[in-house]
Amino acid sequence: MNWDTLIPFFVIMSSFLPALMIFALAEERRGLRITLNLIGVFVTLALVVFMFIGVYQGHHYETRLSLLPDLDMVLRAGPLALLFAALSSVLWLLTTVYAIGYLEGSPHRSRFFGFFSLCITATIGVSFSGNLITFLIFYEMLTLVAYPLIVHRGTEEARLAGQTYLLYTIFGGTLLLLGTVWLYTLTGTLEFTPRGFIDDVGEEHYFALVSIFILLIAGFGVKAALVPLHGWLPRAMIAPAPVSALLHAVAVVKAGAFGIVRVIYEVFGVEKAALLGLTQPLAVLAAITIIYGSVMALFQDDLKRRLAYSTVSQVSYIILGVAIVGPIATIGGVVHLVHQGVMKITLFFCAGNLAETLGIHKISEMNGVGRRMPLTMTAFTIGALGMIGIPPIAGFVSKWYLGLGALEADQEWVILILIGSSLLNAGYFLPILYRAWFLPTPDKWPDEHDLGPNETSLMLLIPPLITALLALGFGLLAASPYSPLEWVKLISRREFY
Amino acid sequence: MTATPFNLLLLTSVLWPLFLVLMLTFKKFHTQLLYLIPWTALPALVVIAVAPNTVTQVELPWLLLGGTYALDTTGKTFMLLAALLWSVSGVYARSYFNQTQKQVRFYRYFLLAMAGNFILILAQDPLSFYFGFALMSFSSYGLVVFKKSAIAVRAGVVYIALVLLGEVMLFAALLMATQTAESTMFSVIRESVIQSPNHNVIIFLTLIGFGIKVGILGLHVWLPLAYSAAPAPASAVLSGTMINAGILGWLRFLPLGETALPDWGTGIIILGLAAAFYGVGIGLTQRDPKTILAYSSISQMGVITILLGLGILAPQMWPLILPGIAFYALHHGLSKGALFLGADLCGSKQHRDRRRIWLGLWLPALALSGAPLTSGVIAKHLAKSYALHSPAPWETLLPLLLSISAVATALLMARLLYLLRPSAKPYGSIPTYGLVWPWIVLLLIIVLTPILVGYSFEYALNNQLFASLWPLLLSLIISIAVYKVRIFHIIKPISAGDLLVVFESTLKILQNGVKQLNSFGKNYTTIQHQTKARMNVIQTAFLTKIGQIESTLVRWEFAMLFMLIIIVIVGFFALEKIYE
Repeated sequence: MNWDTLIPFFVIMSSFLPALMIFALAEERRGLRITLNLIGVFVTLALVVFMFIGVYQGHHYETRLSLLPDLDMVLRAGPLALLFAALSSVLWLLTTVYAIGYLEGSPHRSRFFGFFSLCITATIGVSFSGNLITFLIFYEMLTLVAYPLIVHRGTEEARLAGQTYLLYTIFGGTLLLLGTVWLYTLTGTLEFTPRGFIDDVGEEHYFALVSIFILLIAGFGVKAALVPLHGWLPRAMIAPAPVSALLHAVAVVKAGAFGIVRVIYEVFGVEKAALLGLTQPLAVLAAITIIYGSVMALFQDDLKRRLAYSTVSQVSYIILGVAIVGPIATIGGVVHLVHQGVMKITLFFCAGNLAETLGIHKISEMNGVGRRMPLTMTAFTIGALGMIGIPPIAGFVSKWYLGLGALEADQEWVILILIGSSLLNAGYFLPILYRAWFLPTPDKWPDEHDLGPNETSLMLLIPPLITALLALGFGLLAASPYSPLEWVKLISRREFY
Repeated sequence: MTATPFNLLLLTSVLWPLFLVLMLTFKKFHTQLLYLIPWTALPALVVIAVAPNTVTQVELPWLLLGGTYALDTTGKTFMLLAALLWSVSGVYARSYFNQTQKQVRFYRYFLLAMAGNFILILAQDPLSFYFGFALMSFSSYGLVVFKKSAIAVRAGVVYIALVLLGEVMLFAALLMATQTAESTMFSVIRESVIQSPNHNVIIFLTLIGFGIKVGILGLHVWLPLAYSAAPAPASAVLSGTMINAGILGWLRFLPLGETALPDWGTGIIILGLAAAFYGVGIGLTQRDPKTILAYSSISQMGVITILLGLGILAPQMWPLILPGIAFYALHHGLSKGALFLGADLCGSKQHRDRRRIWLGLWLPALALSGAPLTSGVIAKHLAKSYALHSPAPWETLLPLLLSISAVATALLMARLLYLLRPSAKPYGSIPTYGLVWPWIVLLLIIVLTPILVGYSFEYALNNQLFASLWPLLLSLIISIAVYKVRIFHIIKPISAGDLLVVFESTLKILQNGVKQLNSFGKNYTTIQHQTKARMNVIQTAFLTKIGQIESTLVRWEFAMLFMLIIIVIVGFFALEKIYE
């Protein structure tokens, strides 16, 4: 018995067990629920940090359970897995704190936090999955456990949004399953392998491989909100703010993008995929999504809706990065998993603060809000400027690597997409900043609540401040050791090229 | 990084304004901070005073994507100017705003822009420069719209749109340059840009990207709007030092002194000449002193652009031209800063006050016109000496054109002094003690500049007196003639932002043209009404269309259909394979 073979399993359990216990708790056991939650969070974090250091020194952590004959359930902590797991667990901690503050006094909190923890279990599972079938299991689990969170409010609109979400994702899951089974019949293995495992598949299966690729990408594309499969995302913004924050930053949307990264690098192998002529169309699709999402965001007055369309656009940066074949673009794409995560979660936290504190849901209600909630709006400003790609915020680093990688791969057109996207992002974020900072404050806010002596309750205020600092730090210190950028460079060296 | 005391001081001078902005978050420190903040740029002045002669680079490999900072010779001149103007304006602003709340709000943007300005001057790699440039440009938006008037808001929109345009152009240029050079050091990039197959694109993007800040012709429209909309201390730094960020950008990025690029060189010289005269031409028609000063900046930057073009045309001359450009920027910055602050001091109703300020204003105005014994004559003399040694046909043409431009500048200054004459309507703030003394310090610096750079007055009086006097005398004669003829009562001022207005009114004319066509033979007002309604309908229809596309796309049936199509296509291929 070796500890190294158990740790990945423990990480999964460290959020799964608290989830089960929380379900069993009575609604009013607030203290115990918070304690359980936090224990789960910190154990997960500690284990992830432990493995981080281990992997850096060359350790291998792998749990293997027999699922079917010749088909194991594999949990493996590679560098890429850890990147995603670290992002999930850090943001989970912040979102938990935020959610506790946000849902103070509202009903069904045991249900909420239970599913919230399950959501993280699934996300961590997705990140540590060592083969496609394990990935699929956790991915589908994520689909299901996110549903109660989206419909948490129980209103008609929420239920409709949940229904749409399920329709999309279940269909997407079907495509995935089809693709996976088909792939298995060809290769006899589903083990994620650096540089892919389809080398042995003969030339005569060209069409099969292309079909599998399309099935898998379309399947993951649903959650990653690739146009035209993005329809569920803007509706799902009906969910409570902490859910939207987690949904857009790590859990659901990112799981889709992460799946695409896995498929391209560790199922097909990026060079093989390029040889099959699959990456170029994907890059074009990602580019279309980037521009389309931004254009749609321009027309939204609902703040969360605008942010949702912005996610549609920004997540495709990741896909664009991996679809431009080349190590530098890959770095830009994969690091955007983290960068977009911290920036977008900041924006959603802030949107939640505005809604909870002042009852602001619409951009047209945001006049002068910078004076009423300066810290929240400072965090928002950092997130928004980062999205536009202004240095030194993290978004700039992603954009820089994407651009450099595109030039390296002789795909100059990508620069135009990046420029267009930056301008569009400016087009829908700068007016918000202008309203918030430069327009006069109205006499009365739509629905103001007194949440303590600060601009809002500290539980709501501190998480966005931390994530905004992270967004700033990840950019400002991008070249320093242990930054997401440096870690992604290590991944790229070890696993992709 | 070697932590020598000087390097630490260098970093402190940059971090200090950022630290103070951070401290402004805490309301209880505001009173104390407001005593400290006007002096924020002092560490930067100390840095220049104690800077050793050998340039040491501060490497910060962990910062952004790896940063290199140093105070090199060119940087020193720009830093000196920046430190002086940020200090003077910082002190000025303290008395300019009478409410603490306004001061705090102003200093927030002011300090951020200052930090950006310092960072870009010290940056030795393009990414750090780009970072400083972005920080400065975006923060100064807060300065431009500070007054919140309709004019300020319009200026802000034009300003931010052009800033964004510049940002993305520079982004593309930077990417291409970095990719070719495989390095992020200015020295390497300057040498290798020319090897890039895209070098013309890179040069074009750099020229335009920074040209927006410099106000090259066509992209200058934001300058008159922003300078006149911003509060006086902000205009002083905008026109005095921030405008030079564009110049410095050119100096850092363009392949100057490497290879002769005759086409680019000629083009840039012509562009510069056009701006030099166009700026004065439009400026002369203006009635608002700050707008006049903005147009004067456009014209003066035109002169610097000419020198830059010479450097591209004749790289062997570049080592000589470079310090000349730096000095020209310093001279223009100090004078322009003093003029902006001085123009703002004409708010008193008392004739005595007005006359004193007015006399003070003569100094920077004369300096800018290149009067003897001022920094202006040195700058003009340097420019002319390069022009005399430039390749044909410029060696005969340019000196003459530069002299004519000097006459033009002097005319513009005369116009300014006329508009601000003691008997004219009060303009700007009432000159209180706190406003006047920083201005006087700035005037003293302008007086001392020629002495500090070791200029020989004796030589000047013996050899250059006539050369520097005749443009002045000529412009004086013209000014008096114009005054007597009262020509300005006939001339209608061209709206500030000239081309922008042309652009806007072209749009209007086009719209009207459509209306006219429609209204042929019909009652105009009803048609106007109808057209408006029709435009609205078209607009709404367009928005609805977009909405419709999206609502189709987001219907779940559509997504399902899409996925089914995928399955069918894929299945078709699969079957085909099986039955093959």
